[in-house]
Amino acid sequence: MPAEESPVQAPTPRTFLLGPQRFNQSATAALRSLETDRPVVTINSGWEEREDDVGELDAALDGRAVHLRLYNRMLDVLDKDRRFAAAALAIRDRHDDLFSIYRLRLQTVLAGAYAVQRRLATREDTAYGALDDAIDVVRHVDAWYLERLGALYADEDLVDSAASSEVIHWHRGEIAGALAGAGAVVLPGGNIATLLRTLRIFATELPPEVPVIAWSAGAMALTEEVALFHDRGPEGASETELFDRGLARVSGVVALPHARTRLRLEDRPRSAIMARRFGDRHCLLLDEGVVLEVSADGALPGGSRVLGIDGAIHELRRA
Amino acid sequence: MSHRRLAINRLRDRSHLDPGQVERFVARFGSPIVEGERATFLFRGEADAVWVRHRVVGLPDPLPMRRLPDTDLWAATTDLPGGSRVEYQVETRHGDHYERFNDPLNPRVAHSPVGSSSVCASTGYAVPDWVHHDEEARPGRLLEEDMHSKALRRDQPYWLYLPARYTAVQRYPLLVVHDGGDYLQYAAMKTVLDNLIHRLDIAPLVAVFVPPRDRLREYPNFAPHARFLSRELVPALTERLSLVPTAEGRCLMGSSFGGIAALSTAVRYPGHYGSLLLQSASLVFTDIGTEHGGGPAFDPVVKFVNRYRAKPGRVVDRIFMSCGTYEPLITPNRSMVPVFRETGMTVRYVEARDGHNWEDWRDRLRDALTWIYPGPQKFVYE
Repeated sequence: MPAEESPVQAPTPRTFLLGPQRFNQSATAALRSLETDRPVVTINSGWEEREDDVGELDAALDGRAVHLRLYNRMLDVLDKDRRFAAAALAIRDRHDDLFSIYRLRLQTVLAGAYAVQRRLATREDTAYGALDDAIDVVRHVDAWYLERLGALYADEDLVDSAASSEVIHWHRGEIAGALAGAGAVVLPGGNIATLLRTLRIFATELPPEVPVIAWSAGAMALTEEVALFHDRGPEGASETELFDRGLARVSGVVALPHARTRLRLEDRPRSAIMARRFGDRHCLLLDEGVVLEVSADGALPGGSRVLGIDGAIHELRRA
Repeated sequence: MSHRRLAINRLRDRSHLDPGQVERFVARFGSPIVEGERATFLFRGEADAVWVRHRVVGLPDPLPMRRLPDTDLWAATTDLPGGSRVEYQVETRHGDHYERFNDPLNPRVAHSPVGSSSVCASTGYAVPDWVHHDEEARPGRLLEEDMHSKALRRDQPYWLYLPARYTAVQRYPLLVVHDGGDYLQYAAMKTVLDNLIHRLDIAPLVAVFVPPRDRLREYPNFAPHARFLSRELVPALTERLSLVPTAEGRCLMGSSFGGIAALSTAVRYPGHYGSLLLQSASLVFTDIGTEHGGGPAFDPVVKFVNRYRAKPGRVVDRIFMSCGTYEPLITPNRSMVPVFRETGMTVRYVEARDGHNWEDWRDRLRDALTWIYPGPQKFVYE
């Protein structure tokens, strides 16, 4: 029997989503499990001006980290390329404006959904599908926002100025080179808006064959759509808001780091609306101690904790 | 609930009080003695009469103190609900001579532009930790500047607060603070801003602290003042600094008459500012006639508020209002909430068991500023 050539195997993406690392450092074990001796590239631009304060991160990554320093690179671009800086600042102003109007609309339609939910609490029937329809309205506002945001990012001046920027081009080359040679990429937490902004400026793409370990804001950045949430902030509970699109390395997931401390999970009707709003995506709780490896087909492993449409927390079944 | 008798009553029960017993009692308890929801004020000394003087609506003022027989110890007990904080003084009478001063047995004092007062804080009140200097909090810069104002026909000084790490690649909301010097001096506002920004409770912001020259004239609906802020100061700062370029990023703030200055400026320039932060605003009005009880200084205030109530307008998007439940302005403030809301403005209204004073306004700053300019906590996932 003639020996058959082995088919060229598509790289199997390995992606780890971890809980917050402050008190439970699982990143070290996750990295060691990869058994790679190649450089470990970090993207910690969400730390902003503390980006170079990497002592603890270096220790957690066995001293093998190569830091991409995207935040410092962004500052360099804004300093050296005035045309791009002006275009980027203009887009940020428009994004702030759009986001503020989105928030206004969202508060109104969510208040409507909660009101319908309260009214129906004691009814057995679906009341003409009123709640489903109210949640559809919320989804519509979410979709409107993301669509308009996409149009902002397609702004000709922004796209042209980035494409023609020598300094951006130079940084992109360095970043791509570092990522291509990486044994793993690590995305810690931080400010998700800054993290996404830096990833976008440098059109950062994570090679599928390079394993990724991410937590907190880093885990959020790997998903398709990034949702902001904080029910216990000083200004009181606020609604979960979509903010931007992520890298879409992990699909079908809304990542919720620090869910226990940031969300009023005891308010089951509210959680139910949230789970229903995001439809077929899993609202994934990423609390302290969580270590999940997303499978090659993108499925979450058994035991992953997600919000159910009944507002309760459920564990996904093990295969 | 404890039914233990008040300390002062237990002292009264003793048949013969010698000076040593009184001395030990005062040394042990000081003044005031807060027991549950009761406060007992003490005074030692010779006088024909002694009172506690305060401005707490609902309690008798003056509050007479009674002398314990055969002693020089005077006492008065009153209700003081949990979480309360009141400012007071002691008044004595010797013949025809009246004298008013801070409680000599109470080291706790609050300061204001008109002097200082003693402070009585009940169970449950604590000075917020974010009003104290925090070494971890990177300080913003406070620049002393001035600009010539055509509207006011003078050079107008102000203090400009730039948050730590101010950079032109960010946009900052602007907070315009009436009675700026007093907010800095008596409400620790620079420290508060440094701390709340450091904690991510509020957005990094630029604040301009503007002191009045003739407060009673300039603050109750004075066109040159409104023009100075809206046509001179804010445009100059917007041109020079990296500020949010829309109304949403501009807030006028003030307490008492400063609240009227903020509101009347917004009324004169509707849509120019996104929000108002009004603390114990002097929103005095009359429903009929002209007797408002505030004296001549309040005449222009009442005229302005009456006119606004007759034709309320949506002049900003959002208003944060706070008022102390123990101050005379509580009723006008409560009354204005629905008036503002009916115009379509979003109003957050907060009350505290406190009075018309700078520490009350200081203690409400976190509630107010986190609502007006929320911090980036929602963006940070460490």
